[in-house]
Amino acid sequence: MNRYFRIMTSILPVFACAILAGTTGLYAQDAGAPAPAAPIVAAPEAAAVPAAPVASKIDTGDTTWVLVSTAMVLAMTAPGLALFYGGMVRSKNALGTIMQSFVILCLISIQWVLWGYSLAFGPDKGHLIGGLEWIGLNGVGLEPNADYAATIPHQAFMIFQMMFAVITPALITGAVAERMKFSAFLVFTLLWATFIYDPLAHWVWAVGGWVRNLGALDFAGGTVVHISSGAAALACAIVLKKRLGYGREHMVPHNLPMTVLGASMLWFGWFGFNSGSAVASGALAVSAFVVTHTAAAAAALAWMIVEWMYRGKPTVLGAASGAVAGLVAITPASGFVGPMASIVIGLVAGVLCYLAVLWKSKLGYDDALDVVGIHGVGGIWGALATGLFASKAINAAGADGLFYGNPAQLGIQAMAVLVSVVFAFVGTFVILKLVDGLMGLRVSEEDERKGLDLSQHDERAYS
Amino acid sequence: MVIDPARIDKRNRRRRGVFSVIGLTIAVMLGTLAVFTGSVAAQDTTAASAQAVAATPVLKIDTGDTAWVLTSTALVLAMTMPGLALFYGGLVRGKNVLGTIMQSLAILCMVSLLWILVGYSLAFGPDKGGIIGGLEWIGLSGVGSDPHPVYGPTIPHQVFMLFQLMFAAITPALITGAVAERMKFSALLLFAALWSLVIYTPVAHWIWGGGWLGKMGALDFAGGAVVHISSGVSALVCAIVLGKRKGHGADYMAPHNLPFTLLGTGLLWFGWFGFNAGSALGANGLAASTFLATHAAAATGALVWMGVEWVHRGKPTVLGLASGAVAGLATVTPASGYVGPFHAIIIGVFAGVLCYFAVVWKGRMGYDDSLDVVGIHGVGGVFGVLATGVFASKAINAAGADGLLFGNAGQLGIQAIMVAAVMLFSVIGTWMILKVVDAAVGLRVAPEDESTGLDLSQHNERAYS
Repeated sequence: MNRYFRIMTSILPVFACAILAGTTGLYAQDAGAPAPAAPIVAAPEAAAVPAAPVASKIDTGDTTWVLVSTAMVLAMTAPGLALFYGGMVRSKNALGTIMQSFVILCLISIQWVLWGYSLAFGPDKGHLIGGLEWIGLNGVGLEPNADYAATIPHQAFMIFQMMFAVITPALITGAVAERMKFSAFLVFTLLWATFIYDPLAHWVWAVGGWVRNLGALDFAGGTVVHISSGAAALACAIVLKKRLGYGREHMVPHNLPMTVLGASMLWFGWFGFNSGSAVASGALAVSAFVVTHTAAAAAALAWMIVEWMYRGKPTVLGAASGAVAGLVAITPASGFVGPMASIVIGLVAGVLCYLAVLWKSKLGYDDALDVVGIHGVGGIWGALATGLFASKAINAAGADGLFYGNPAQLGIQAMAVLVSVVFAFVGTFVILKLVDGLMGLRVSEEDERKGLDLSQHDERAYS
Repeated sequence: MVIDPARIDKRNRRRRGVFSVIGLTIAVMLGTLAVFTGSVAAQDTTAASAQAVAATPVLKIDTGDTAWVLTSTALVLAMTMPGLALFYGGLVRGKNVLGTIMQSLAILCMVSLLWILVGYSLAFGPDKGGIIGGLEWIGLSGVGSDPHPVYGPTIPHQVFMLFQLMFAAITPALITGAVAERMKFSALLLFAALWSLVIYTPVAHWIWGGGWLGKMGALDFAGGAVVHISSGVSALVCAIVLGKRKGHGADYMAPHNLPFTLLGTGLLWFGWFGFNAGSALGANGLAASTFLATHAAAATGALVWMGVEWVHRGKPTVLGLASGAVAGLATVTPASGYVGPFHAIIIGVFAGVLCYFAVVWKGRMGYDDSLDVVGIHGVGGVFGVLATGVFASKAINAAGADGLLFGNAGQLGIQAIMVAAVMLFSVIGTWMILKVVDAAVGLRVAPEDESTGLDLSQHNERAYS
């Protein structure tokens, strides 16, 4: 009971304040939302009215693609990432690990609706943060917002972005696996999303954000999603310290087929992640789709081959990790580069991330499921590679990179990388110390031995 | 292992019995097929001319809308198989996992066929007295690629039919959670076929096919009454008629593989976007708003269930979070196209609390609804349909109606009539079908088969070797 009260007293005030503020907006939105574009309902006699043409030009093809992409990115977090990570831990922690991804999906979805979207994409305040005008989706209706996506309902863009806000903290959970207290984890996630993700997304993607104003290119989230989660993961691994028995006990993945299933669902969903970021169904979406796939395939092969040469055997976990590394690296570049460049980006990602994971053990931190090596290193390489390979021939709205005669772009990309790494690392460090002081980050030694499933959730994965 | 020859003999006899039932079922289906291939063939050959005739009220196919409904159809397929199959499969004991997965898969296949042959015509065919659709569209006769003016004016009629097929398939599959670990496979097939034709098609007609409830103005956007109340209430009848599992309350019956269940939950959530937002039948503002309401209710339902459980039991369970998400999704289904995000969150809060307590109280009521179909789909469905009568707003969907909160108390009454009608019809109908199936083939497996598990006794396979 005591512990429960501590948890609730720390979570509830944060939520309560924002809910109070957010619901006002939401309520206004519900009561006064404009009529939707096409009033077609399942109740047939009512639907006899043909779709009324509305002033805005919502394109059905574009809307379809963004809605489908949103569902696909949902599937990346749950069940994709949940199973990818769930298979890699020991079976006594399988549920606890899966739970982290699932609960983030729920928590951040609500956070995003109440205040996250407004902070990230709301009207710019001093190039640093979005205003509170859109809190509770106030004013975020079904009319398109020309700044972000001119041919789909604004709410479709909002919910597509929500899935990005969801998966980013979920990626970090790989670094804290098998040892973080569930209650501390909830508080950390809520704070991280609000104070790290939302501002960073604003800087890089929102109209008026200062990194965007610099001209930094990040098509689908290399800095916002991967570098930020990778840098945060490093801070987490350092602050939380190693798992009990790390380096001495046998800690192999308990179910690799589950991990491969998760990796496949990540790959599947990544088409929505990258190609959906075109926020339209057209040439750019197709180009992003193609390069996403080629980079993933190239990186999986590269990782496999390097491992084969270096360790003597090609592993399944290696191929799966390589595919994810390639997907990470191509993410910021996917809307700006062609297929040949994407293969190069993938090959380099496979090699770099493999070496990063290998060197992890020499550095001594326990990044349990290799978030730093894959998302951090892959994200940095991808953001820089965008500065090398980007071409206006692929995306006129982008910029040329070094290889197309614009070396300055590489400098801008390096700047964006540095800013994201420093901001995410320092911010995460502060949040962790805060949560540690408030409620303690780690489970007790006894609970860690027992496993998260029983100690945190009173359940067993397998009976 | 010593095998008693008498037992083998008995098992062989039983197998012969089962084969004859399956043979009979197949024969009936083939017979139906033979009768209706004529009309299908006629439909195929005359498709071109039919198109020419139907082209008078020029309805143009929109490629974006068609892409959205086709994708939604595939998403709803993924809800049944593998979504629901794995959700339920993980919750049973290791000896029944294949049998449980098999039920969803077999129902998907069987109902798909029945729907094309007769089901669609009974549910959506030309209205006969507000009660049932006519037989004019049997074997998809006249259901071609031209849009239907009511059922999706911008998509081919067959796309609407196929989208609805997935709803017809998942509904009986939901019921299988209540009969888990003890129903005979042959009886299940017979039950699902009868249930689909006798319960699902009329209810779908009443509400969506131009029947009496629809005419009365009842609102059910994506199937709160048609799918969730009907399956939830029928599940209760099934659990009562079948009786408890052997050793219920005494033996350890923990889920054998919760990661499976979570995989299933993820796929259900993913597919539910097609289920609800696809019911807008177009890629428009309504689809986006439905998508948002669906997601907001699911996330809220999950968090609230987890919170309530944390307070009530001391630990937040993973199964609880997953159940809460499904409860939120089931509850928002009828309301999803009529409410905004704020009201969707309120609906999610109630879904999490009500369904949690329904599941907890199940233990006191004494029936063995093994995988909580009643508590989640029944209770969630009833509350969702009533909540639609409270929170619906014409500002969200001009083709809908205002609910109680927007000054139209009558809507709540209409919603209550729909709840009562669907519940009553499902209870009586399901009870009668169960009695018929019991008399024909027997509902339960033999006690020793139940101990062996469905995988070996019904399918002669092991899930894990």
